[in-house]
Amino acid sequence: MRLESVGKRYGVRQPWVVRDVSLDVAAGRLIRVEGPNGSGKSTLLRVVAGVTVASRGRVSGRPHTGYVPERFPGGLPFSGREYLLHMARVHGLRGDAGRQRVDEWLERLGAAGYAAAPLRALSKGMCQKIAIAQALLPQPRLLVLDEAWTGLDVIARGALDDAVAERVAAGGAVLFVDHDPGRLAGREAERWRLGGDGRVAVATGPGGGTAEGGDAAEGGGAAERGAVRQQGTGEGAVMIELAGVEPAGLARLGEMPGVLSSSGAAAGRVLLRVATRQSDAVLRRVLTWDGVHVAGVGRAEADANADAPANPGSRP
Amino acid sequence: MIALLRYETAILLRSHRWVFPLIAYGALILTEAAGGTPVGPPWLSLADGLDWSAAMLIPVLAFLTRSMLTAEPDASRACVCAATSPVRTQLATLLVALGGGVLLGLVGACFEVLLNPSVSGHSDGLLGNVGAAIEHPVTLAAGLAMTGVCLLVGSAVGALCNPPLLRRPATAMLATLAAAVFALASDVSPAGAALRHASDAFSPHRPGGVQVLGAAVLLAVTWTASVLVAARRENGSASA
Repeated sequence: MRLESVGKRYGVRQPWVVRDVSLDVAAGRLIRVEGPNGSGKSTLLRVVAGVTVASRGRVSGRPHTGYVPERFPGGLPFSGREYLLHMARVHGLRGDAGRQRVDEWLERLGAAGYAAAPLRALSKGMCQKIAIAQALLPQPRLLVLDEAWTGLDVIARGALDDAVAERVAAGGAVLFVDHDPGRLAGREAERWRLGGDGRVAVATGPGGGTAEGGDAAEGGGAAERGAVRQQGTGEGAVMIELAGVEPAGLARLGEMPGVLSSSGAAAGRVLLRVATRQSDAVLRRVLTWDGVHVAGVGRAEADANADAPANPGSRP
Repeated sequence: MIALLRYETAILLRSHRWVFPLIAYGALILTEAAGGTPVGPPWLSLADGLDWSAAMLIPVLAFLTRSMLTAEPDASRACVCAATSPVRTQLATLLVALGGGVLLGLVGACFEVLLNPSVSGHSDGLLGNVGAAIEHPVTLAAGLAMTGVCLLVGSAVGALCNPPLLRRPATAMLATLAAAVFALASDVSPAGAALRHASDAFSPHRPGGVQVLGAAVLLAVTWTASVLVAARRENGSASA
């Protein structure tokens, strides 16, 4: 599958959300899409998944696609199982084949007990499981996950991780966005980073489970995006060593504004690289967490690679 | 495509969004049947009844189309679009609404044939009415053709005045209502022209070919616009 100078905007007078994207989505690749809030990640995923047509350029060779949206509010007049049976048919799975697949995925995601309940009555997490099941039913050659892990319990998160691995092993392409930098860390074949301008920079290989290139800015406003760029152009950074951080805390750290990278070590010790101008804010927040201590603070050595927006392997 | 139609039909049926159009259509037909004493030959009464049941399809189908276009949450729609294509998904939605309109139109025409008292001279019961109507095949055919024209125009109005082309609920609903009235009242609209022509000329030879063609073109244009826009922006918020 290939994107050729693809651009997307939601109206003639609207700004370009994504522009000049020319990329291959090769079979058997796991691709992480990253960038600050509002940088166009969801829009890029929707164009790739074929949910919406590109305003400019061409998308060719899209295989059978499963798409999991960011939120799946259960506003449909069906039970979970009825909805999935309809979706199985829409995906081209008829009769018993569809029914078996539906029951299999309800089971794997731990949603079988709620399959008969109306979608309207389901919790957010349960609705999310139904959304994931509908995308995985046809064993798609292209799987697009827009923060699909949000709201899932441990069983379903594990099942989704496994499903992603299965798809990739079977030669399918998987694109995902997730705010947890540890999600599928080390397994990505490529990372597509959206800058604030709608262009995509590609890095090959895993990101090593750090927050580098993760969501450094919250809110998505142009001002914050400008701030990220400033950090990237060498305003200086501070190393903060923390102790007593739980795994969930590590994920939250990665999403904080100003955190350029975070690496966890044994026994809850974490080394953070934080932009100087946001380091106070990060420390203030961290100190309110139970059991977390600041073990050390020091000036970061000049290391251009760590905080500049990763650009190796970028294609025009 | 069949699975898509089935899915959209299930949404229409299970969400009970067909109830309001059905009640509205029933009320409109009964209003006409209850009022007015028939004047003139029996076939004219039948023709008037069929014209009325056809004309009332325009607002009813326009709003039925609206309820289909707003029935599905954006998120689940996105999943369906990824599994098939946004174009086919939108087409299926419009087709299912039109299918509902066809059913309503058939019910309306049957009602007019069965219960139009003046056709049979009041006495022969339902079967007598049917028998009397069959004696006027030209009137029947013209009434059904009128139903067809009104279905095309009603669906076009619904597609033109609702998401994704008009997205604000208040604007869309007022526009739907205004466009339905316009489609009935103005000679610019194929349905309006056909209906006006019908009451002028005391002959059942209508709607004309021009009006059928005009209605078909109108439908094609509005559906194309609706499908193309649906594929390019989502119904709801155009968020990044």
